[in-house]
Amino acid sequence: MTDDALDPLIHVPARLRIVATLAALEEGDTLSFTRLQDMIGLTPGNLIIHLRKLEDADYLSSEKTGNGAASRTTVALTSYGRAALDAYTHALRDLLDGL
Amino acid sequence: MNRTRKTTEAGTAGEGGGLNPREAATLFEQTRLQARRQFEPAPPWLLVTRAAMVLATCGAVWLSVRGQHPYQGPTAAVLPVVFAFVAVNLGATLVVAKRATSGVSGRSRLRRAEIIVLAVAWVAVFVVMGVLAGAGVSRPIVYGLYPTTVPFIVVGLAWAAIMASRANWRSCGTGLAVAVVGAAGAFAGPAGAWAVAGLGLFVVLVGNAAAVAWRQRSTGPR
Repeated sequence: MTDDALDPLIHVPARLRIVATLAALEEGDTLSFTRLQDMIGLTPGNLIIHLRKLEDADYLSSEKTGNGAASRTTVALTSYGRAALDAYTHALRDLLDGL
Repeated sequence: MNRTRKTTEAGTAGEGGGLNPREAATLFEQTRLQARRQFEPAPPWLLVTRAAMVLATCGAVWLSVRGQHPYQGPTAAVLPVVFAFVAVNLGATLVVAKRATSGVSGRSRLRRAEIIVLAVAWVAVFVVMGVLAGAGVSRPIVYGLYPTTVPFIVVGLAWAAIMASRANWRSCGTGLAVAVVGAAGAFAGPAGAWAVAGLGLFVVLVGNAAAVAWRQRSTGPR
């Protein structure tokens, strides 16, 4: 098995940290964009880019509520995203076992 | 929707920044452990601290009442210890839980109806205690057996029922264990009930801390 077995969408430091953080939430919970940014330590622009890539692949869902200064964006892993992360960690384990 | 195609397109060459499998595994484990710790509203250190405090508080009360014949209740000297414990415990719990759940919403948060059930359970047990005192029920019952048994039984069972409805079996077990501590105290007499409450809650809290620590480190899904 080679590194190609690892999902390229997750196998990026910033996105790996995003999905690992969101996977630590209870299933059915969502996390605010600002808390996620605090925990990951990315700039808002960078975080938005990575979140958009994950959302485009249906790995996460986001929801925006309110308007203007009161607006709030929340994100959560989808069940498809959790399954993708499970597959990624299995592939990672297989690769490390083979080293 | 063609998910495979979208996934492949989204990952661009070089984005991994030289992340090899071992580095990826380390980064994943570190991030997951850190996130689990940050999202935990009742971290092991808080539970162990609370366990030590409840043991010290109930132990202090027990020492003050164990030689009383007939039972008079906690002495005035020990009451500040009890009130300080309640205040510190409540304050620390609220601060830690607020920090952990900041920005988190969804199923794990208590619903309004569940909060009301717990609040009513807490208020009701002390209203009944006041009613019993007013009705002339003996001090050993009102200031001995009652406060060390009934609140634990009522609130423990209410918590267990709420957690069972959420299929959260670990928290349900904690609620049942607290109720069992309350029930066991009823057989120990008014002075002994304080010792049973202190020791019983100490064991429940330390056990809970161990369970939380184990869950945080487990490799499986939460």
